[in-house]
Amino acid sequence: MITKTRFIPDGKDVLKKLPLIHHLEAPYLYYPMTSQRCPEGETCVVFGQFVKVGEVIGTRKGAFFEQPIHATVSGEVVGHEMKYDASGKRVNCMIVKNDFKYELHESIQSRSDEDIEKLTKQDYVDIAREAGLVGLGGSGFPTYIKLNTKNKIDIILANGVECEPKLISDYEVMMEHPEELIHGLIYAMKAVGAPKGIIAVKKKYVELVERLRFSLNSYTNYDIKVVPVGNHYPQGWELEAIESATGLKVPQFKLPADYGIIPFNVSTLQSLYHAVKFSLPVLERYFVISGDGVVNKSFKARIGTSIQRLIEIGGGYVDKSVPKTLIMGGPMMGSNVDNDDIVTTHTATSLIVQNSLFLNEDPCIHCASCVYSCPVDIQPVQIMNAVKANDKDFLKALSVNKCIECGLCAFVCPSKIHLTDYMREGKRILRG
Amino acid sequence: MQNMTVISQTSPYIRKDTSTKRMMFDVLIALTPVVFFSIYRFGIDALSRILISLIIFVGVEALYFLSVTRVDGYNFSDKIKNKFKKYSINNFSAPAVSAVIYAMILPDQLHLYVVVMGALFGAALGKMIFGGLGFNIFNPAALGRVFIALAFTSFFSGSYGFIDAAAGATALSTGFPNVLNSYSLIDLLVGNIPGSLGEINSLAILFGLVYLLIRKSIDYRPVLSGLLIFTALATVAGFVLHPTLVFEYVIFQVLSGGLLFGLTFMITDPATSPVTRPGRWWFGLIIGALIFFIRIFGSLPEGVAFALLFGNLLVPLLDYPMWATNLFTKKFYFGYSAVFILLTVLTFVILGGYAI
Repeated sequence: MITKTRFIPDGKDVLKKLPLIHHLEAPYLYYPMTSQRCPEGETCVVFGQFVKVGEVIGTRKGAFFEQPIHATVSGEVVGHEMKYDASGKRVNCMIVKNDFKYELHESIQSRSDEDIEKLTKQDYVDIAREAGLVGLGGSGFPTYIKLNTKNKIDIILANGVECEPKLISDYEVMMEHPEELIHGLIYAMKAVGAPKGIIAVKKKYVELVERLRFSLNSYTNYDIKVVPVGNHYPQGWELEAIESATGLKVPQFKLPADYGIIPFNVSTLQSLYHAVKFSLPVLERYFVISGDGVVNKSFKARIGTSIQRLIEIGGGYVDKSVPKTLIMGGPMMGSNVDNDDIVTTHTATSLIVQNSLFLNEDPCIHCASCVYSCPVDIQPVQIMNAVKANDKDFLKALSVNKCIECGLCAFVCPSKIHLTDYMREGKRILRG
Repeated sequence: MQNMTVISQTSPYIRKDTSTKRMMFDVLIALTPVVFFSIYRFGIDALSRILISLIIFVGVEALYFLSVTRVDGYNFSDKIKNKFKKYSINNFSAPAVSAVIYAMILPDQLHLYVVVMGALFGAALGKMIFGGLGFNIFNPAALGRVFIALAFTSFFSGSYGFIDAAAGATALSTGFPNVLNSYSLIDLLVGNIPGSLGEINSLAILFGLVYLLIRKSIDYRPVLSGLLIFTALATVAGFVLHPTLVFEYVIFQVLSGGLLFGLTFMITDPATSPVTRPGRWWFGLIIGALIFFIRIFGSLPEGVAFALLFGNLLVPLLDYPMWATNLFTKKFYFGYSAVFILLTVLTFVILGGYAI
């Protein structure tokens, strides 16, 4: 209606109650050689070679960084195959045949607390790079570049808001392993020399706030606080989480590091803990299958597991006659995939199979719900008109590039107009 | 994966449970107390005018829709059939809202021929010529009303005064302190006064307003802004003109005429409003001030429709992307309060307040 919409029915409570299936029986694991950020990749193993958990089997190459690919099981490299990755692109994948022994590679060595005390910033950066850590919230941005900042950092923000509906992975991490998250946060603080750490979680998760505060009691010599922030969408958006948790206003198109703060996803911090303490890369992630077109199940699975298999184990699709839409990620910003032949990657935490919505677009009645709801205060309806008129000047004046594609404008539209698509089109027009 | 259709879509994949249809029907529901009261009060006169407007507004929309919609079909009757498939509920509800609003701002004794002409003008030139729902720049009901007021002026004289000829067209056309002798303020509230079909019962209108605000089918900003400036100006005028009866004067001004009806049902029409929050505050300010100025300084006793059309005319200006923003900037606060104060001071001075 004609008002600011901030709350979306999130359907998380049902998903949280699902029993967690720890899936270790995957016969074959698939490792994409390229990703969205890294268009090139190469392997350093040959077919038939035996690899162990944590062994480097190749490298993905991006514009200014490289990412090692780690095996997450032990077994034999048997070949390669085209599969879909979390962004919906077809990529070439290395296949490792699981021998179900899960032998650790020799490079996986635990560090004692004394060793960790002695680590310098450069050591942390090297550890993060060697473990191939990326932003697990969905950005996939290499963590070591974030840690390698030259700015003076005052605050590390652990972003555990997870405002998208139907995603519960971060919640599970914080609920199951709060100490790992706190350790990761402490390491990140040490790495950049930040005196303060803040964990931002939703206000409504009272149990979570309590759990984190209780765990923090054992770490009183560090200045770490749990800050409950708003329940609305898109509270988890980096800049909005920073503003709610610290009061710091970071303008768009600026790096938070320039303002003395680095936000990390809580899962990223957990993976940083594993990397520093045990030299482990990211091995497992929570993965939830939800939506009305499939049997809902919650998994903990190795990176590289075939999602098709997870669906089969979970119980398969329901109502096969109804057309389905497959979504990797959340229902507001997730990416669409055409095929369920997908493998889990670092950033994949959820597959939604929903019976397709068929919407008739009514004409726009200028109710301005989209304008009121926009978190970056641009005017989607005016941008739509400018896109229809192909008017570059107006698109620039309306600053369409500010759009974060959160999807709220299309979500609230009473005429069911797909405004977010018009925003993308507007950006495309501006790019020329 | 086998035997299953997968359909590509782009994010977001979920939608809020709202619709244009719901907004339209909310307005119709909010209009029912007003409509029932007008039928109770004016009987068949009201009913016939409402029905005629409904038939014409919906008919013009249907005619337009059937003639301009392009569909595939192998012959004429098949095409017509396909066109009817595309005919949605909005093609009925939107013109129905306009029709009822149009009927509600007509005087009860107005000749049916004039009613038909106004409805035709409002529906065809007010809305359909621009492309139908959401594309019109003027409120169709107000445009139809203004058209007949200008083109059929002679039909209006005397038609209001059905009980008390001395009271003139509406309660507004009588001089202020004298009108209190004929009608008490309670009469104004419950609609025991002469006037247009739907504008007389303020209570019924307020019910509709509250319903719409609770359902959030309208924006409160233009309503509040218009009401604020109008009340402020009326208070100033009351102090200057009738220093002993300020309270009565303000209440009388707010409750009489089409002010409340216009603010509830016409100014809130989203299609002809600006799209930003500050824009909607300005929109209300412009219209509220104009309504008052037409009442006090104009030759017409009443000018809600005129004020509204003038406001509609300024919408592209308020929405111009080079300066329109949804943020409440300092510039807006300063400009809005400056104009607000300027208007009140100006009214005070022009009405002769400087002499005091």
